[in-house]
Amino acid sequence: MIQAGSVGAPYVPVLGLVGTDLLKRRDDMKICPDPFNPEVKTVVAKAYRPDFAIFHAQKADRRGNVSAGWTNDDTLLAEASRHVIVTVEEVVDELAAAEAKGSFLPSILVDTVVHAPFGAHPAGCPDYYPVDDAAMKTYARQAASDESFAAYLEETTYSVTSHEDYVARFVPAEWRGEGAGGDERDSA
Amino acid sequence: MERDYSNEELMAVLISREVRNGEIAASGALSMIPAAGLLLARELHAPNVEIMILGSPAFMPFKTSRQFHFLAHRGELGLFFVSGVQIDRQGNYNLHMVGEDQDHPKVRFPGGYGGGMLYYAARRSIIFRTEHSRRAFVEKVDFISAAGTSPPDTLRYGNPCKVITPLATMHMDLQEGLLKLESYNPPATVAEVVENTGFDLGDVSSVQAAPAPTEEELGLLRDAVRRKMIETDTYPDWARSHLGNLRIA
Repeated sequence: MIQAGSVGAPYVPVLGLVGTDLLKRRDDMKICPDPFNPEVKTVVAKAYRPDFAIFHAQKADRRGNVSAGWTNDDTLLAEASRHVIVTVEEVVDELAAAEAKGSFLPSILVDTVVHAPFGAHPAGCPDYYPVDDAAMKTYARQAASDESFAAYLEETTYSVTSHEDYVARFVPAEWRGEGAGGDERDSA
Repeated sequence: MERDYSNEELMAVLISREVRNGEIAASGALSMIPAAGLLLARELHAPNVEIMILGSPAFMPFKTSRQFHFLAHRGELGLFFVSGVQIDRQGNYNLHMVGEDQDHPKVRFPGGYGGGMLYYAARRSIIFRTEHSRRAFVEKVDFISAAGTSPPDTLRYGNPCKVITPLATMHMDLQEGLLKLESYNPPATVAEVVENTGFDLGDVSSVQAAPAPTEEELGLLRDAVRRKMIETDTYPDWARSHLGNLRIA
């Protein structure tokens, strides 16, 4: 569990899940007695410390400070992971904690920032662009069988030569305007 | 006999009657009917219910989902609402997959955020389902996403207490760990409820009709609650299309 990893605990007790088929199918969660009160049992979930976390956010500065909107889960993920790569819509010279919208990840948690406008597409990025409903419908339709999904992956992923190529081919033209593309890399 | 209210209005009224004044009550993702029911209860007998509507910032006092999650985890959530693709006699519900082979499901569903915890943490949970049929109410769910009851030696703060559908209300008998018919909603009959339920509902010989929604309940739901939902951006499109459209001129 990422929550446990984020606080450096080897595992964390969690309420619920007892008697579910989910629990039967997972080997990272077990039912255990409370060591301080052995008559009562709970599920304990193993901690996860990923080698890498990669996620998309709104804005970063050149030191690697990141404004990640209201998605608190990204903070947990960054804390739990050994290396953190953040793709962002916008890179600015300096980002103060006070001007970050929602969660602020200080550069101490971040290894690498990649400038990748429209990096969340076909999902949305709040304050920048909405979910691309048409592209999502295409995805849902083609995900229905292995054959059509292979074709989808070929078209949208394997045949794509660069991020700019993806944006030019798949992001709606009216969303792009000026300044789309770019592939600046900053190491924090 | 025809109803002059929709299934959604009926269920919102039935839900509102279950809400207790002063408790903390929350509705989850895509839970329009419970959200309306909570707001209606606040207009009526529960002016001091603390309402949280996930997905509606106007009814979410916390900045992060973590704070809501752990409020429930601490056992402070009084009432929560869940639904399921399948619901069985033991109060288990399924939000994961349908099919006999779990490794090769016929249909997959997204699962449910938090339900596997909230169903155990909330002091009471109400299951709501707009489709009352034998494919929704089954003897045994194909996948248990959350269990109706747990062994006595596991930590659990609450259980399902009611199931609310357009046809009927069931209650959970915690002694036996089984759902039983509590009341039916005319013009539906007990026979119709039994016919459309895929499991034994217990002794139904003395089951009574639930009181129909009153003029006061329907009036508030169609005016104050509908307006509140639209003003606060709480499922506004749903409120426009489901509340107040069967009003008799």
